[in-house]
This record gives sequence, structure tokens and C-alpha cells, in this order.
Amino acid sequence: MASTRGRVSKGFVSFLWALAGVLLIAIMWELTKILGTLIDLPFNTSDQAMPHIWTMFSAFTMPEVRGSETTVFQAVLSAATYSLMLALGGFVIGVSVGLLLAIIMQRFLFFERGLLPFVIASQTVPLIALAPLIVGIGNQISFGPIQWSTTYSVMFIAAYLAFFPLSIGALRGLQAPSATSLELMRSYAATNNKVLWKLRFPASIPYLVPALKVSAAAAVVGTVVAEISTGVRGGIGRLMVEYARETTAQPAKVYVAVFGAIMLGLVVTAAITAIDVLLTRNLPKKGLA
Amino acid sequence: MTTTPDTGSALAISHVSKVFNKGNENEVIALSDVNLDVHTGEFISLIGPSGCGKSTLLRVIGDLTGFDSGSVQVSGKSPEDARKDRLYGIAFQQAALFDWRTVSKNIELPLELAGWDKSKREARSAELLDMVQLSEFGNHRPWELSGGMQQRVAIARSLAVDPPLLLMDEPFGALDEMTRERMQNELLRIRLDTGKTIVFVTHSIPEAVYLSDRVVVMSPRPGRITAEINVDLGERTETTRESDHFFHCVTSVREALRLHDTSRTSASSFRGEV
Repeated sequence: MASTRGRVSKGFVSFLWALAGVLLIAIMWELTKILGTLIDLPFNTSDQAMPHIWTMFSAFTMPEVRGSETTVFQAVLSAATYSLMLALGGFVIGVSVGLLLAIIMQRFLFFERGLLPFVIASQTVPLIALAPLIVGIGNQISFGPIQWSTTYSVMFIAAYLAFFPLSIGALRGLQAPSATSLELMRSYAATNNKVLWKLRFPASIPYLVPALKVSAAAAVVGTVVAEISTGVRGGIGRLMVEYARETTAQPAKVYVAVFGAIMLGLVVTAAITAIDVLLTRNLPKKGLA
Repeated sequence: MTTTPDTGSALAISHVSKVFNKGNENEVIALSDVNLDVHTGEFISLIGPSGCGKSTLLRVIGDLTGFDSGSVQVSGKSPEDARKDRLYGIAFQQAALFDWRTVSKNIELPLELAGWDKSKREARSAELLDMVQLSEFGNHRPWELSGGMQQRVAIARSLAVDPPLLLMDEPFGALDEMTRERMQNELLRIRLDTGKTIVFVTHSIPEAVYLSDRVVVMSPRPGRITAEINVDLGERTETTRESDHFFHCVTSVREALRLHDTSRTSASSFRGEV
């Protein structure tokens, strides 16, 4: 009981620290603007380039376009939700593929030798170069009545970024059990599948959780970048580009979209933290064993 | 031999040899012409310095590693068949309990793999927890237990499917001296209750003497059996460890170990032929 209370208050303290950090950034932002009026800074600190924090907040409730019912914030929120769905799709695909690859690589040394270099090489291909290629190939795919949509391309790119950290982390995790644990399973005449299910999977959890965090972040970044480079409408990536074009008229608007992107990241991080707590609830409260 | 009747052969090892890195310049003769017979219900200890092959021999018996020549029969079967028929339980120096399982579930693991149904598993793990006197700890996590308690769980787990043979690889090696002596008494009690045949690897001379009916002394380079000392201490009591006969046995084992210690200086035994 005492330890639970201890953890809650510790969580509250770290929340306060996070809040203080955000405040500090806001204060530095405004201070920079003041400093810009006093001395010559190498960058533009006008309201046009760096709107006041309060201008940014007032932009939340502005109508999205002149005379429209929806506010900028509502538009950002729905765009962020749309991107979240794409990112989630990419994340699920990426995690599934990553896990499958890790299992294959763990089971067959041949595949670890043969596959791992390609897995690593896959991440050295620049995303920007890849995006038009995927869209181009995707547009030629159709399964009967089902047509490839550009949103699939976005998910594919998100998955492409997400699978890598997971497969590397999962591979390390699956290889984590000690020789003693493996000999024990052998002495029980356990099949490979039983060893995977009853030993390797649970033992990989401490490695899997950080890998999931990195993968989730990669899926979000992948989605936003892919939205921009494929021109898919409806998501936060596209919205940022559109709002950035309006900076002359409404300089604060684009920052609402930036907040939206940050929120997207926070939601994903929170979700993964929940998964972390769920998966590691029965494990000793320390780092990797 | 002493307290239990000779009811047959639990283990028959003849002319077993094993070489690591064969043909390589790092070639090591892990086991050289090892012969050993263990009767059903007998408690034997394998003792010797590091590299004498005692753990390797245990692994050969358990089919955790292979051997190059000779024959091994575990309850009349090949080690592989014996392992697949779950004819032995094993405990290591590390308890190797799974952190994500409760103590009970750890003991149930071999039963799950042997296809027991849930109610039978739970009844069996309760029975075993009772045997190792940890009944209240079934729902604890292994990492909440002390080293000695973890090792008791590991022993309970090794007994789970009720195998006739127990293989133990320095199970008390990581425990402090007091816990260690308590665990030794507990193991003897369990042995008396269950009548298991036990092969026990240790590098502690008093431990080997106190536990065993027979101490098998091994020596390295090449790994081989150099002496067998029968220990006839009868029933162990609180005063056994202080008796003259106990010291006498300890001395015999120590002398057997020292005798072959000198052979380490002779270069010829470093690399022999198989």
C-alpha cells in the first residue's frame, strides 16, 4: 500500500516537473521576443514569425475559415484523430511484422544471418524517397472491388518505420532467457513452441516494452511525414502544411496544428505506458533482469 | 546402499567419453572413460575441482549435452528417451524460477508441459509446497522470496512430475553456510519421504559426505572418476557433522582429491587421446 501511494505521489511530482518544463519554454519564448526588440538577433522575432503565446491560445477558438462553424481547434482535433487512426493501423501492422520477423530470426539462425542485414538496411532508405514509390506501386494494386487507397500507403510507411525497433528489441528479448532456463525447458521435454510461449515471450517483455515505445513514436512520425509527402488529406500532417501557408494572415494558426501533433504524441505515449504497466505488473520493479 | 535396499539400477554409465572442440587446438577431454553405476534410491555426489567434468557428466545423464562414446542408461533407457519420458527432475545453482509466474505456477510448469489438467496441477503444487514448507507462499512472486526459499521452490519443481531420478547441480552453491546446512537436512528428509535416486554435484567436501551414500571423486584434464568413497554414516542427526566418523570420511575424500591434484602438473594428462 505504502509503495502504491509512493508511486502515485512520484507520478504527481513528475507531472509538476513536466508542467514546469512547458512553462519554462513559454517564458523563454516570450523573453526571446522581448530580447529581439532590444538587440539584433540573427532570427526574426516579430509577431509574424513568433506569435505571442496568448495569440496562439486565442487561435484555438478562431473559426477555421472565415464564417465557418468549426473552430481551428476542432479542425485540428479531427485531423489528429484521423492521423491517430492511420498511425495505429501502421503500428499494429509494423508490430505484427516485427514480432513475426523476430520469432523467425530467433528460431532459425539461418534467417537471423540472412534477414538481419536487410532489416537494418531497410531503415537506411530515406522515407521521402520511398513515399512516392509506395504510392506509385500501390495505385496499381487492386483486389477485385477493393482499390488501393493512398491512406494504405501512409499506413504502410508508418508500419515500415515501426517494425524495425520492434523486431530488433523482440529478437533481443526472445534471446534473453538464460542457458539454465532453456536447459530446464529441455529437461521438461518442451517443444520449441512451448519454449517460445512459456519462456521466450514472457522473458522478452522487459525488452519488448521499450521497443513498443520507440515503434509507436516511429509510427506517429512516419504517419505525419507520409501524409505530407503523399499529400493525403484529412490528417494533421497535411493540416500543418496548409496552415503554414496561411502564416501571413494568421501566424498563430499553424501552432495549433503543432499542438495537435504534440497531443497525438502524448496520447500514443500514454497508451504505451498503460500497456507497459499492464505487461510488467507481475515483474520485479527494476530494470532489465 | 546404506539406508535403502538395492532394488535395481537407476543409472548405468560405462566407458563414456566426451571431447569439447574436437580436432581443434582448444580440444578438451571433458570426460574420459567414465564408469558409474547408481542403484535405485541411492544418493551419490560428484565432487572435484572446476573442469573435472562433474557438471558435464550430469548434463550427459540428463541429455542436456551429448557424449562421444560409451553408453548411458537411465532407468534402462537412453538419456534422450528418459528425458522425453520425464524420468528425471533437475535443479541448478540458480533457482531459475520464472519471475512472471507465482511460486505455485512455477512448480506447475513441468506439469503443464506434461499435460496435466488444472485441478490435478494445483493439488500437486500444494502438496509439494507443503513438502518444502512454503505453503503460505504459493501466491508470492519468486523475487519476493529469499535465496534459500527460492531454491526450495526449485527443488519442489524438480519433484513435480514425481520422477524417479533427481539431478542436482550445486543447488546450494549460492547459499550462505547456515541456510546451506538447513537445506541439506531438508533434502535428506525429502529423500527419505520420496525414495528418489539422487545425483548431486558439489564442490563442498562436507556437503558431499553429509548427504551421500557414496562420494564419487573426479579429476580434471582429462575429466575422469578417480575414486569412490562409501559413506556409512547411517541416519544423519544433529551430531553427525561433529562425529569422528564424519571427519574420517571427509578426510578420505579430501585425500582422494589431493592425490590427483598433483597430476595437474604432469603435462601428459593435459592432452590425451580418446
